[in-house]
Amino acid sequence: MNSIILTAATRVITPLMVAFSLFILLRGHNEPGGGFIGGLVATTAFALYAKALGVRATRAALRVEPAAIAVAGLGLAALAGLWGLLAGGAFLEGMWPLLTTTPSGDKAGLPLGSVLLFDVGVYLVVVGSVLAILFALEEDVAASSPEEAD
Amino acid sequence: MVLLTLALVVPLATAILTFLARRTPGLQRGLSVAGAAALLAVSLVLGAEVVAGGPIAATMGGWPAPFGITLVADLLSAAMVVITGVIALAVAVYGLGEIDPAEERIGHHTLLHALLLGVTGAFLTGDLFNLYVWFEVMLIASFGLLALGGRPDQLDGAIKYVALNLVSTLAFLAGVGLLYGATGTLNMADLHGAVPDLDNATVVFTTAALLLFAFSVKSALFPVFFWLPASYHTPSVTTSAVFAALLTKVGVYALIRVFTLIYDAGMPLIQELLLVAAGLTMLTGVLGAAAQNDIRRILSFHIISQIGYMVLGLALYTPLAIVGAIFYIIHHIVVKANLFLVGGVVKKLTGSEDLARIGGLWAAAPWLGVLFLIPALSLAGIPPLSGFWAKLVVIKASLEAEHYVLAATALVVGLLTVYSMSKIWLEAFWKPHPEPARAAGRGLDRGESWALLAPIVGLAAITVLIGLVAAPFYAVSTTAADQLLDPSAYVTAVLGARP
Amino acid sequence: MAVVTAPVAAAADAAPTGRPLARYGPALGSATACAGFAALIPTIADYSSIRVAWPWISGLGVELSFLIDGLALIFALLITGIGALVLAYSASYFKGHHKLVRLLVLLVLFELSMLGLVLADNLILMFVFWELTTVTSFLLVGFDHEKADARNKALQALLVTAAGGLALLAGILLIGAVAGTLEASALPAAAAALKADPLYPAILVLVLLGAFTKSAQFPFHFWLPNAMAAPTPVSAYLHSATMVKAGVYLLARLTPALGGTGPWLWTLTIVGGVTAVLASIWALRQTDLKLTLAYTTVMALGTLTMFLGGASAIALAAAVTFLIVHAFYKAALFLAVGILDKKAGSREIDQLGGLARPMWRTWVVVALAALSMAGFPPFLGFIGKELKYEGALAVASEPLLVVTFAVAANAMMVAVAGLVAIKPFLGPRTATAAKAGEPPFAMWLGPAVLATGGLVFGIAPELVGAALVNPTASVMIGDRVAKDFKLWHGVNIPLMLSILTFVLGVVIYLALGRIRRGLAAGEAHGLWAAESGYDGVLAGTKALAAWQTRVIQTGRQTQYFLWTTTVLAALLWAGLAMGGFAVMPRGVEAISLIELTMLALAAFGAVATVVTRSRLLAILALGLLGSAVAAIFVFYGAIDVAMTQLLVETLIVVIVAVALLRLPRLTPAPGLEVRWGHLGVALATGVATALALTAVLGTELDRRITDFFEQASATEAFGRNIVNVILVDFRALDTLGEIAVVVVAALGAVALLTRRREHREASR
Repeated sequence: MNSIILTAATRVITPLMVAFSLFILLRGHNEPGGGFIGGLVATTAFALYAKALGVRATRAALRVEPAAIAVAGLGLAALAGLWGLLAGGAFLEGMWPLLTTTPSGDKAGLPLGSVLLFDVGVYLVVVGSVLAILFALEEDVAASSPEEAD
Repeated sequence: MVLLTLALVVPLATAILTFLARRTPGLQRGLSVAGAAALLAVSLVLGAEVVAGGPIAATMGGWPAPFGITLVADLLSAAMVVITGVIALAVAVYGLGEIDPAEERIGHHTLLHALLLGVTGAFLTGDLFNLYVWFEVMLIASFGLLALGGRPDQLDGAIKYVALNLVSTLAFLAGVGLLYGATGTLNMADLHGAVPDLDNATVVFTTAALLLFAFSVKSALFPVFFWLPASYHTPSVTTSAVFAALLTKVGVYALIRVFTLIYDAGMPLIQELLLVAAGLTMLTGVLGAAAQNDIRRILSFHIISQIGYMVLGLALYTPLAIVGAIFYIIHHIVVKANLFLVGGVVKKLTGSEDLARIGGLWAAAPWLGVLFLIPALSLAGIPPLSGFWAKLVVIKASLEAEHYVLAATALVVGLLTVYSMSKIWLEAFWKPHPEPARAAGRGLDRGESWALLAPIVGLAAITVLIGLVAAPFYAVSTTAADQLLDPSAYVTAVLGARP
Repeated sequence: MAVVTAPVAAAADAAPTGRPLARYGPALGSATACAGFAALIPTIADYSSIRVAWPWISGLGVELSFLIDGLALIFALLITGIGALVLAYSASYFKGHHKLVRLLVLLVLFELSMLGLVLADNLILMFVFWELTTVTSFLLVGFDHEKADARNKALQALLVTAAGGLALLAGILLIGAVAGTLEASALPAAAAALKADPLYPAILVLVLLGAFTKSAQFPFHFWLPNAMAAPTPVSAYLHSATMVKAGVYLLARLTPALGGTGPWLWTLTIVGGVTAVLASIWALRQTDLKLTLAYTTVMALGTLTMFLGGASAIALAAAVTFLIVHAFYKAALFLAVGILDKKAGSREIDQLGGLARPMWRTWVVVALAALSMAGFPPFLGFIGKELKYEGALAVASEPLLVVTFAVAANAMMVAVAGLVAIKPFLGPRTATAAKAGEPPFAMWLGPAVLATGGLVFGIAPELVGAALVNPTASVMIGDRVAKDFKLWHGVNIPLMLSILTFVLGVVIYLALGRIRRGLAAGEAHGLWAAESGYDGVLAGTKALAAWQTRVIQTGRQTQYFLWTTTVLAALLWAGLAMGGFAVMPRGVEAISLIELTMLALAAFGAVATVVTRSRLLAILALGLLGSAVAAIFVFYGAIDVAMTQLLVETLIVVIVAVALLRLPRLTPAPGLEVRWGHLGVALATGVATALALTAVLGTELDRRITDFFEQASATEAFGRNIVNVILVDFRALDTLGEIAVVVVAALGAVALLTRRREHREASR
């Protein structure tokens, strides 16, 4: 798989795909997309990176252990849920700090808040979990057949 | 209201925190035990609240039922969560003395608390699809716990376990999907009103069949219990104990919940099927146990057998029988977990779980003998321990319902249970150790003995307490059964008072 | 209650130090309790009773209620009195033994259980104690548990009595259901209803099973002689004086409620009579003195059962008197045999002889007890026997039968009494007995007191007769009994029968050698093998269990899958059948060509995945299936779901491909092998699911919730993508759970792979 073209292309494509995944994540509330899909796109990007440049390089690029990313995502989602609870509402209740109620009773402002935080958590969980499994498998393969290791 | 959320947040947070603390074992262990203790504390307050004021509900995300997901605790749910808290603390402490540090590092505590999250979620949710989600949490967490040791026999058990349980969750999902298609709702209190209104009996019965199948596999009912004896004896004793205590009971809980609230177990065919399955489950389970010679294998088959009693209680579908089923579950969780824990100490002291290769414990460790006898006699239904009352109520209910064959089966199975327990006693405790060099048994070191014995003593004390002071437990079971058979309080708590 | 708790406190003091006070503490406690009960005699002799009750589990009709009437008091006195003597004896017998404390604790626990049994008024409460005596007896029979024999016999005693116990429990529950009360004291009022109920035969059978197993009636008698594996003081206490009489107690207690009917009379008379006669024959056969005594105990239990069958006041009075007589002489003899075993070196009759000189004090005791056993005047045994004959003649329906049983059994008792009292003590001194000597005082005291009691109460029979026997018989018959107890009744039929008994007894004694050889020959032919029934049932159960487990739990995953799926299919078809196969959708919309194509592709992918032998093809086929499904999602406007599906498919292919690198190549199969059974189950499941789906499509969707989502999504949840809003807001808890699943799956997978690698590296 050590094709130079693939390696070079990957270095370009991966950041683009990750950026795209973030775009999908953010627009998800209104258009097709969201944390799940965004996370899967990002995962695909890193999987490609790992195929081209090896698991070790990908781990280095990520800086954080994938499993930790996943757990952090889960924690973030849980915190997003607790936000509502601590604000006196229900667990997982949407909190919109940037919205204000107009005199006519409508809401105005930026619809950002706990729900997006939750979706970011989902995104991180997907990225972290799938990469954790993929890396562990790749390393297992490498360990069981040392001559094929890159 | 917050309590319901906390019952989920505490195990979730503990799972996350124990992962983050994975490089500092001392902190990780402390967090694990603290999380379990917090869960117990929350569950006790929750239990007290439900006992005092009836069913309580909390909407998630602030969306009212039936649009959002609602958590509900009636007395059955609350009791199950309390007992989950008890088991959580017991196994968290026991694990300190038993779990291999390598397994701790790699995620034992996180998986354990994730499992507890699934269990409490399943007990508290008021939404059928959400129940499915918690089943998945349980399934995956338990798979992780089974595979954690990494030995070939453990992997073999784990694969059998997860594959057969996936068939069950698939059927569950199909059932939920079809039911939603037919009624447009997933809220169980809402379904309580919607299902009887369905005019298509095919829909009612096929969805009931799918859910019945799914929960029967989960409960390890005859003839779909294969996964249980294939896997329960392989992981660490701590894991075995928590599985034995909780997993099948979630299945039984789901059976009871769904077949009292959404369907009723008195439906034609369903009742007959449940009655026959209950009888055969009791019988095949106990016979399976009689054929084993390994402590944990014996105990595993006994789980199946005991599930039969609980399901018999549901299947008879009389008020007294449901009381019996609930009392049985509460009693059984404590006793069965404890037997596994004692089995772990037996293994530590004698070096094996194979009855042919151990012995001499009554001479070497009489205290352990007493600690074994309490849950063992309780399981066998010897008075005045908890199991006696549990069996008494179920048998009384069978006799009153004139199901004499099932009553007789329950009695004969009781005798065979006595036989199995005395087999362990004869071989592990009375028989001299086959290797005289090991006769004295190895001792436990101080920290180990504290961690291993405190949970055993605690659970044994609960068993004795339920036996001697049975009245409040019986009263709770009675109220819980009343709430199941007349779920108006449950429905009102979820949906509000209807005009 | 202080009376009851005294022995507990004393037992707690029994430290393993061997200090006399500690060792004899339990005995003193028991003696105190006995004195406390004795203080109640005047009250009971006045035909009154004492009842105390506290609530326990009111919902089940279970109360902590205790009743002291004549019947309970007799047993309580025997239990605590003999208990005190046996505890003192044991403390001496096991002096310095490392398990002395364990023995004393178990004996005290047993004593308390037994007391509870006879004092309980509530039948469930009585059953609680009943089972506790079973358990403590199990632990005591297996006291010498290093021996396999002791273990197996303890198990046998446990299983036989526990089986009976469970029958009894069912019987009690039925009694409660019919009579509406579980209080024994309230049952006589419901007697007519009980006896008239269609469940009466079932109740009778169940209760009698409980009583007969506990009291070792034929054919459940075999466990009792086997229980002689227990230490001798235990045998004396449990398996002669007290526990085995629990069955008799139960019969006596339930006589007013269930007795007096034809089935009751005939069953008790015949079972009791047969047990008595067979047991006395077996007693003659034995050479081990302890076993001889065990069989005579069975004989006594049979006799008691037989007399309880007769509903006459005299028969019941005879039973009660004999109960007391037997407890005195039998416990004394058992304890004396223990002395012989310990001090003369054997219990085998052939190895003992000439002990009269070195053990004269023991001989006196044995002789006194044996005289009472043989029924000589002026011992209490004589009065007991006379009463028995009088009672037998009073049995209305079948006096001749009962008299025959009684005379035969008693004659053999005379012979056994002779055997025990004469053979070991007279004649030449045997080699085994060369070093024989007298026992310590504490061991001698028990049998001496008991044997003397037989004499004292014989001379002054009113002490037990008016004070205890009459009130007890009154309880059972439900009418005041005031029988006179006298040594000399003049020349009457019972006296004649007594003389006949002695003559027969002497004849049997003289012919004992020949009889024993004859019986041994009969035994060799398997004539008396009632125990083989137990062995057969046990072996059969084990074989059945092994067979069943082999068949069900094969360890083969394919078979588990097949069965599990078969059950699913069967349930689904049953569901369809219950609904009358009403499965037609309401309005079938035309399916477009492209939809059909996608369906065909999905189906092709599914089939190809299953049938292909190439892993790579299987992955691709699976991908095809997933993509086709994604396309179908697109047709129905679920873009998010379709995107997710496609991405998941992509990643699955990547991951599975990595995993596959590790696996060995599949060996190419010669041809496609079709398992028709599996195919059938798969098709049945699939078709049934499809039919269920069409049935659902036939119903109208309730749009309450979908409408709410569509309306609230933008206005209240501030998102126009409903799918996403459902995922992260409306049903965020589901998503929270599902991402927990994903994380846990990742942790599990990583753990599994890491641990496996560690194992692999460790094994390298």
